Amino acid sequence: MAQHNSSISNFKHFSLKFICPLLLLIIIGGYSFQYFFEKTVILKNSISGAYKVNRIINELHPDEVAMIGSSRMEGGLIPDILGKNYFNYGLNGTKDNVSLFFLNEETKKNKTTPIIINIDIGGLNNSMGYILYYLYNINYQPVRDIVAEQDKPYYHIPFIKYYGYYELYLKDYLTAKIELTKYSNKGASIEKNILLLQKFSEEVKQRENTPAAFNVDPNLGSRLISIVTSHLNRKFIFVVAPCHPSCFSMYKNESDEIKYLNFLKTYKNVRVFNFSKDHYPDSLFFNTEHLNYNGAIKYSKALRDSLSKI
Amino acid sequence: MLFNSVGFLIFFPVVTIVFFLLYHQYRWMWLLAASCFFYMFFKPEYILILAFTIVIDYYAGLLLERETDLKKRKRYLVLSLVANIGVLAIFKYFNFINDNITGFVSVFNYKNHIPYLNMILPIGLSFHTFQAMSYTIEVYKGNHKAEKHFGIYALYVMFYPQLVAGPIERPQNILYQFHSRKYFNYDNAVTGLRLIAWGLFKKIVIADRLALYVNQVYADVNNANSLSVLLAIIFFSLQIYTDFSGYSDIARGAAKVMGYDLLINFNAPFKSKSISEFWRRWHISLSTWFFDYLYYPLALSFRDFNKAGIALALLITFFLSGLWHGAGWTFILYGVLHGAALVYELYTKKIRKKIFGKLPVAINVFLTRLFVLLYLAFSWVFFRSENLHKVKFVFSKLFELNFSINFVQLFASQGPFKFANILFTLILCYLLSVMSKKMPGRYNVPYIFILIFLIIILGENGATQFIYFQF
Repeated sequence: MAQHNSSISNFKHFSLKFICPLLLLIIIGGYSFQYFFEKTVILKNSISGAYKVNRIINELHPDEVAMIGSSRMEGGLIPDILGKNYFNYGLNGTKDNVSLFFLNEETKKNKTTPIIINIDIGGLNNSMGYILYYLYNINYQPVRDIVAEQDKPYYHIPFIKYYGYYELYLKDYLTAKIELTKYSNKGASIEKNILLLQKFSEEVKQRENTPAAFNVDPNLGSRLISIVTSHLNRKFIFVVAPCHPSCFSMYKNESDEIKYLNFLKTYKNVRVFNFSKDHYPDSLFFNTEHLNYNGAIKYSKALRDSLSKI
Repeated sequence: MLFNSVGFLIFFPVVTIVFFLLYHQYRWMWLLAASCFFYMFFKPEYILILAFTIVIDYYAGLLLERETDLKKRKRYLVLSLVANIGVLAIFKYFNFINDNITGFVSVFNYKNHIPYLNMILPIGLSFHTFQAMSYTIEVYKGNHKAEKHFGIYALYVMFYPQLVAGPIERPQNILYQFHSRKYFNYDNAVTGLRLIAWGLFKKIVIADRLALYVNQVYADVNNANSLSVLLAIIFFSLQIYTDFSGYSDIARGAAKVMGYDLLINFNAPFKSKSISEFWRRWHISLSTWFFDYLYYPLALSFRDFNKAGIALALLITFFLSGLWHGAGWTFILYGVLHGAALVYELYTKKIRKKIFGKLPVAINVFLTRLFVLLYLAFSWVFFRSENLHKVKFVFSKLFELNFSINFVQLFASQGPFKFANILFTLILCYLLSVMSKKMPGRYNVPYIFILIFLIIILGENGATQFIYFQF
């Protein structure tokens, strides 16, 4: 009994002198660091996914034309070439379930500006991209719906929720600030590098042997149409980015793609611009699916010209 | 269960708190149950292998103590050793031996019909079988009394902090600790937690980060140049040290909080001025095991051959030490390389003293340390490579001597930011280790806070296994 009491009093001493100060330090230090990091790194970087997700949820820019889509949008279109009020919400690694989330948030706002949406030649599919896009707003239900089963309990604990991702946020921030390898412009993040000829040829060969198909997830398809038809005051401009010819070598059902794009055109508030088969020399590609900086300039100008005709 | 997992963050405080809440006579049960749970996290059925060797060695120990007839005592010892080595032979070396038989008989156009065993190597098998063997050997030698309490003996083999990757304990160091009463002690708790935090920092921030670079280069040697291969070789030396010593620190820390002292496994190994000194500083519990139970008896039996006898004993010891690490020729050659270095040091001791003795002390120390580090780094190429073909490939890339600065190759396709972070965290690790040596106890709280803070900010996400778990 005496030994137990002695152990307990030692433990009390340990708790007061060690555990409590340590916990206090972790809570105060961690919370302060998170606050500082979010304000100066995550939210001060227009190309960060977390910033884009936060911007679409929490910020209202009445004159802004939102550009939504995957990496083809993020790295393909330069907002400043298109006009004054364009912002590129494209997110690398994401697919149309995320685009629909952006579209949903954008159409909730009391705005009448058009919306530009990228459609990949693969159709409408699901991919949430990287978790670091969502951590800042992880408690917002539509964001939780996207993250779904990838949500982890520690994503809801301040400071710890960014464990393993601080470096990536900082990297994104520095990429945008230094612009050594990428050019940043209002959300767009465009590759300045050009692949070595040999590496590009390898990619082309690989792409030529990779089967591809156009496929529309029925759930995503119906959600898209529902948004389009319930917001007749907004113009929805669908764009298909230029692709390297190798992407079409084993493309199974091109007719389905054309059919679907024509179907979208049947809605009065929809316009479709398909640039996928426009001729772009190899020197304008970063890889077979993405343009480089010069390619993005050409593509942006082409879209600007098309938009001016509407 | 991995030390660097969320599971352990829950397991460790629960086990420790309940341990101190229980009366002394029930604590062994709790620790044994916790250790079983810890081990069964990997592959539950393999607990039966442990149970088998525990029962054999426990009774072997009792019989060894009771028996006075030397012949019978030897028989009991051999029985215990055969049981332990037999388990190792089946689970770790069977397929390797079979592979070599296949290769050998194919030379004579024969086919090997012995089937391969399709099973995963039980985690930490070499560690706990060696620990079990040290018990029966010590009882046989009369250095330690047989443990009468079956539960305490089982705990000696299974104590969770050192169960899967050591330190390989000796009965005289740990068994008496399980019998003595433990009280919660402030200093033990803080020292233990400091060790755990430091070990986790080394593993999660340093080793796992270095692993990204090393794995990339080793996976794609073709696209690397001599500079990136050299960096990968150096980085692997640092990775294996921070990974393994990190594990040992966490193990010692987890035991220390409960009042148990485990053996110190590392003592600044990169400060070694010779390979023999390195083995007195690196994986100390294994090297002393091999020296006590293998090298000294061998050297004694070869004593008639003078220096050649010692050399032979060294080569055999290191051959088996290599084999202990893994069932593969790369590991055997790793061991042989170290054995050869020790033989070289044995034969050239006087000449080296003459040559290096003439140099100023600082240059002497610098050069000898550099030679040792380079030798170690190159020997770890054998350790890291999956097969001898890979070893050859890595060295051929290195000796192309293409040290041109190509950023894609230099950064191992991971970009300048990741590479800069490797260098930054290495410097940080060095500064923290220097700082901790000079730091008075009153700074424990801020020091541990800094470590936790850095782990969260700089840690590599996704728990990876410790390198030595595979042994």
